[in-house]
Amino acid sequence: MATSLDNTLAALAEPARRGVVDLLRVRPRPAGELASALHMSAPAMSRHLRVLRLNGLVEEEHTQRADARLRVYRLRQQPFLQLRNWAAEVETLWSGQLANFKQYAEGGRKGKRQ
Amino acid sequence: MNTDCVTVSTVVAVDPSSAFTIFTSEIALWWKPKGPGLFRRGRNGTLKFDSGRLLEIDGQGEPFEIGRVLAWEPPRRLVVEWRQEGFAPGERTEVEVRFEAEPAGTRVTVQHRGWDALATNHPARHGTTGNAFTTMIGLRWADALTALRGGAGFSL
Repeated sequence: MATSLDNTLAALAEPARRGVVDLLRVRPRPAGELASALHMSAPAMSRHLRVLRLNGLVEEEHTQRADARLRVYRLRQQPFLQLRNWAAEVETLWSGQLANFKQYAEGGRKGKRQ
Repeated sequence: MNTDCVTVSTVVAVDPSSAFTIFTSEIALWWKPKGPGLFRRGRNGTLKFDSGRLLEIDGQGEPFEIGRVLAWEPPRRLVVEWRQEGFAPGERTEVEVRFEAEPAGTRVTVQHRGWDALATNHPARHGTTGNAFTTMIGLRWADALTALRGGAGFSL
């Protein structure tokens, strides 16, 4: 299944699909519940779920509830781990540079100017 | 962390006034360039505050304007615009640095913000993807994922 970062971002470059992901963060949900929560028609929701599924962001899960067979959607872990790396990059940049700053201010600099 | 910014801090064993001076006047001596070029692809240089701007000067002495200084309030606070590789013309983020006295010296807090605003005007919002957009959306999701990892029986 395609889960490159580009696919993930393309799938998320649409507010309705980000809305779906936000809802699925809380717990898996059936398509009908997602549609009504986002005030969308069932066919429209179905199209968004298809894009999310083809890009590997969500997967279907079949559960038994009472006697009914229920199909719910849930988030897949891998594409979101890739995204996490982008945020970590900015944080890593500043953590690293602040460590350089601290080391220089407390150590290397001493004696040079005083 | 909110969805718009990254915040990092450290405590350094000097007074705020020294910390401010070292952070600004001596940035070339402690900032260590890394990777394929943060500001210009394939080129790493030294940083310098010069005439109300923050510059990166490469090996040939050619400057890249990272951004204008928006607030210069020694020894407490500094705000500077921040552009890097992948930003379209007119796009910018903002870095605020605060210096607060503490018993052990000075707490230096860096807040890198403005990613949400960047996204609003970015062509990436209409389908294509770029470096600035990917970084922005990474920040947006970092927050969500931290929350996710913590609870709701769903661990990443």
